[in-house]
Amino acid sequence: MRLLEIENLRTTFDIHVGSVQAVRGIDLHVDEGETVGIVGESGCGKSVSMLSLLHLLPDYARVTADKIAFGGTDLTKMDAKAMRRLSGDQIGMIFQDPMTSLNPLFTVGSQLIEPLRIHKKIGEKEAAQIVLDKLRLVEIPDPESRMKQYPHELSGGMRQRIMIAMAIMCDPRLIIADEPTTALDVTIQAQILDLIASLQKKLGTAVIMITHDLGVIAGMCQRVVVMYGGVIVEEGTVREIFYQPRHPYTWGLLRSIPQKSGEKKKLVPISGSPPDLIAPPPGCPFAARCPYAMNICNSAMPPMRPVSDTHSARCYLMDEGAPDVKWEGIRA
Amino acid sequence: MSNENKSLVDVRGLKMYFPVGKSLLAKNRRWLKAVDDVSFTIGRGETFGLVGESGCGKTTVGRCLVRLYQPTAGSILFDGQDIAHTREKQLAPYRKRMQMIFQDPYASLNPRMTIASIIAEPLLKTGMSKAELNERVRELIDLVGLKPDHMQRYPHEFSGGQRQRVGIARALASSPEFIVCDEPISALDVSIQAQVINTLEELQERLGLSYLFVSHDLSMVRHISHTVGVMYLGCMVERAPVQELYRNMLHPYTKALMSAVPVPDPDAAAKAERIHLSGDVPTPIDPPSGCRFRARCPYATERCAQERPELRDVGNGHFVACHIV
Repeated sequence: MRLLEIENLRTTFDIHVGSVQAVRGIDLHVDEGETVGIVGESGCGKSVSMLSLLHLLPDYARVTADKIAFGGTDLTKMDAKAMRRLSGDQIGMIFQDPMTSLNPLFTVGSQLIEPLRIHKKIGEKEAAQIVLDKLRLVEIPDPESRMKQYPHELSGGMRQRIMIAMAIMCDPRLIIADEPTTALDVTIQAQILDLIASLQKKLGTAVIMITHDLGVIAGMCQRVVVMYGGVIVEEGTVREIFYQPRHPYTWGLLRSIPQKSGEKKKLVPISGSPPDLIAPPPGCPFAARCPYAMNICNSAMPPMRPVSDTHSARCYLMDEGAPDVKWEGIRA
Repeated sequence: MSNENKSLVDVRGLKMYFPVGKSLLAKNRRWLKAVDDVSFTIGRGETFGLVGESGCGKTTVGRCLVRLYQPTAGSILFDGQDIAHTREKQLAPYRKRMQMIFQDPYASLNPRMTIASIIAEPLLKTGMSKAELNERVRELIDLVGLKPDHMQRYPHEFSGGQRQRVGIARALASSPEFIVCDEPISALDVSIQAQVINTLEELQERLGLSYLFVSHDLSMVRHISHTVGVMYLGCMVERAPVQELYRNMLHPYTKALMSAVPVPDPDAAAKAERIHLSGDVPTPIDPPSGCRFRARCPYATERCAQERPELRDVGNGHFVACHIV
């Protein structure tokens, strides 16, 4: 069952030096209960596209889309208030930095109870009970005393658990996790990822996992969307993306990380840096850094071409008659 | 280069305690034991990787080595000379032989200075003429893969990866033999990380540099290091040549740490078995007695609480601090 369907989402920020085209037309769908990873470098539009979806961007952001459907409801026609109601109920968000997303002046308990009371229009006691249940669900030891503590008294891992409890407070159908473990140490990261995976199994929630860490994607997601320069350059199942990638940017990402085998092999970096989205290139955003770029790549944006039912990529190399460049695996 | 066989840096029993609170009475003072008895050596032209989670003391070790901190106890032999307690004046000749690259390429460059003046700054007191200085900066910029027309620009005009190159060029200005790289890539994007790592490797080859590479990125440490030390709460729990360590991990903490690293390969990730560590790292203020890791260790015994395990040799240059191994 389709849970979320987005068509041609565009987000532009009007700032004093011009308009930053952060998201330049993305199509995305998420089925019930599935985990989709969005991977890309800073500034590729992965976070902004999700924030646009939730109306969480400042006023100077312009968001347009041909279609945003969530569980059958058209979100494009909703005003911000109705949107907040829906997203509060059905979409949970986990942010990167658990320190700055909690208010240091209130106890953890009051931060969790208060919004729930207002949102669900229930009493203090009832809300407290729900909060306790959720804190147990995210495996916080001794939740009663934790609720009386302030955020600074908790460790990073604990704070992120609180954020997850907050995200699942109203039993959402979708959780958007924006780099949920980037600020954490590896052993704590492993705990949090396991927690998200087990919650998902228990609650049947769909998850959109935004990350730059291919390791997190490989372990958590069923489908992967690779973004670059405000567009989706490739999408497919996790095995398609890792074992039969078609876009040179995906190749570059996979080659620039050290391999598990520990062979002393030179890393293959992607030279150059990402495009300026105030004046994005008319062609493929990756053309300037692509070792296989042809003339056409600089002049026109390549369309998304299907490889299989689940796999497609945006690259002219997939055309008939294009130079024969093939992915030869990471160790090539 | 008096003796080719001797290691460049030899750290013995390094301790760095920071006072906590304001108590003037010595007996009431509490200490944060950031580094508590750490020993290792770094060979010439080699990279020593120091890994561990935040708060384990890895950065503090790096800062002690270049004497940004004065260690509480222990010795740091740099080219055979103990510099752990040397006074600032006598330290001057050593200062230019060891340099540091910092984590945050945004905070570590002065936004009001041009790239050329940032790189030239360590050379100002050397009595070089303006022309010589200019020549040297040009050379350095070329060495780290930047372009000469970048020289008169300001840091904000550069991307994170380019800024980190400026940081590297500045560190290289005084022709050091030893560089402490403190999380040099953790603020950078994946595709850019590889650029910086390759630059560091090429420079090592060309100039015979020795690095202390401090990082929490275990796969990058494995890639760049010759020897790796694993730290936990101020102590080194395991140390071995890189191949040996990754083939034969002995300490329960090392095993847990390595198994927690997400593998960028879906099939391997599905098969991978994770060792779960419960709880968080305890505070280094009044750390637990005996083995520091025992509170989270699945194999902890009575002995671990009473006796602190020493780092002992188990062959193949492999050292481990654990009673049960």
